[in-house]
Amino acid sequence: MSLRKEAARAEHMAGLKAAYPRAFGLSLSQKIRLTAIWAAFFTVLFFSLDYLGVGFTRIWNGLDRMGIIAGGLFPPRSGGAFPELMGALMESVAMAFLGTLMASLVAMVLCFSGARNILPARILRFSFRRSFDFLRGVDSLVWALVYVRAVGLGPLAGVLAIATSDVGTLSKLYAEAIESADKKQIDAIRAGGGNRLEVIRFGIIPQILPVMLTNALYMFESNTRSATILGIVGAGGIGFQLSDRIRAHRWDEVSFIIIMIVGAVFVIDMISRFLRAKLIHAGKRQVL
Amino acid sequence: MLAIENLKKQFGQNVAVDDVSLSIGTGEMVGIIGRSGAGKSTLLRCINQLSEPTSGQIAWHGRRVTGLRGRSLRNWQRQCGMIFQQFNLVPRLDVITNVLMGRLSYRNTILSLMKVFAQEERAMAIMTLERVEMAAHALQRADTLSGGQQQRVAIARALVQEPSVLLADEPIASLDPRNARKVMEILRSINMEDGITVLCNLHTLDTARRYCDRIIGMAAGKIVYDGLSHELDLKSLQKIYGAEDQPFDEKITSTSIPQGDDTACPLTHVG
Ligand SMILES: Nc1ncnc2c1ncn2[C@@H]1O[C@H](COP(=O)(O)OP(=O)(O)OP(=O)(O)O)[C@@H](O)[C@H]1O
Ligand SMILES: [Mg+2]
Repeated sequence: MSLRKEAARAEHMAGLKAAYPRAFGLSLSQKIRLTAIWAAFFTVLFFSLDYLGVGFTRIWNGLDRMGIIAGGLFPPRSGGAFPELMGALMESVAMAFLGTLMASLVAMVLCFSGARNILPARILRFSFRRSFDFLRGVDSLVWALVYVRAVGLGPLAGVLAIATSDVGTLSKLYAEAIESADKKQIDAIRAGGGNRLEVIRFGIIPQILPVMLTNALYMFESNTRSATILGIVGAGGIGFQLSDRIRAHRWDEVSFIIIMIVGAVFVIDMISRFLRAKLIHAGKRQVL
Repeated sequence: MLAIENLKKQFGQNVAVDDVSLSIGTGEMVGIIGRSGAGKSTLLRCINQLSEPTSGQIAWHGRRVTGLRGRSLRNWQRQCGMIFQQFNLVPRLDVITNVLMGRLSYRNTILSLMKVFAQEERAMAIMTLERVEMAAHALQRADTLSGGQQQRVAIARALVQEPSVLLADEPIASLDPRNARKVMEILRSINMEDGITVLCNLHTLDTARRYCDRIIGMAAGKIVYDGLSHELDLKSLQKIYGAEDQPFDEKITSTSIPQGDDTACPLTHVG
């Protein structure tokens, strides 16, 4: 290759670099920023490890005991309490079901007050939105502790705890679905002389119904898991049995209960997937 | 008679409809043409009161329709059917329920909310669907229909309102030529047979010429032409569509809506 050609190529490269500096690697300031970000990350990492006393020796010693527990988990055994455990599991599922149902029904009404296109009054809408955030910001476990005090030990506390925290989540999700609803069909109902309620009923609800159903079913699934935890703080169900076995170091029964829970969640997952397909796609049939 | 006086609609600094005054006789079929952004849709939306005008007045047979609220607003809107470019059906509801939406303002809200419609109203919906040749699809969900079919359902929805005015905002802009012709012919027959006043925004000059008696040209929110469709000449078209320095070619605003019988038409479209 001739020298002239080489020089022309270099000049061309320089021109391109001047025109598209971003395409040729990081600039100095970007490199400094990147280094700073990594430095900050490692500082926070080491500080947290030190502050929480996470050390290799403790983990190593713990492994020993973990091994014993892991060994104890097999083979899983019902300990002769299978009917009792099954009943408790059903109690947890029922708790999740009732809690989710209550939450969805309440959220179906409340959500409209959090949607800009329904409630334009800013301050009012904001206070509704913030209360949704409050309800869902507090974990259902905390609500369960509160309700156990209020209504006593047992599944009712669990139902109320699930309902309370999910009203917040579902209302927020539904309100967002309403805000992003397609305006065209709303316009058409309005243009034909439909009033406010009719606009909501025919312009909005058909659109957000799939969102409502999908989310309620998803919540039901996830609440079946939460319901087992709620049992541990005294809200009844399979969680109570689980914590009981853990306290007594009966690891084979613990693993049996865990398998039962996983099985139940799996079955519910299948049912909810089936229902979603049926209800929402509905073979292009009109649903509501 | 529809009388519009000094109508103005502003979006922020943007004046979409600028001091429009118009008078449209009962039973007229009027085409509104103009470039994109000229304010055609905004004008129709103001007439229906879907958008509130910034200033100016609209009256129907001498009675003001601007500034109405509540019941009386909805009474006007029911008299004033609206057809949209994107059809604006509720996709997840079936055809007959979509048509029955046109009856909402005649009915008890509670019953409507529960989808309880009177037998006579259902019969009326079916009869109207027959008129637009869509009765066979009455129970199909709206989102399973083709564009041309959706627009005919939308027309049926407007018709069961028993309107005195029909506002159509580019009703054929998303349709193929054959469906476009069908829709325009339905609109024309509604105008001729039922004596309903029709205002129709159109993008294509030849369509406007063929189906409308009178043409209104808009540019930048103002009316720049108002006259009989066969008197529309090149100079007026230049005012409506063209920048002064650019020569205006009428072909660019025309589509080929098939003329005469279908066999003469080389295009075969799936309806
Ligand atoms: N909701 C709105 N908010 C802000 N500006 C708007 C709104 N609706 C219309 N406009 C503006 O008003 C002007 C007129 O719009 P309009 O939709 O009436 O035009 P058009 O003549 O119907 O155009 P096209 O032929 O493209 O449909 C445009 O500049 C548009 O950007
Ligand atoms: Mg438009």
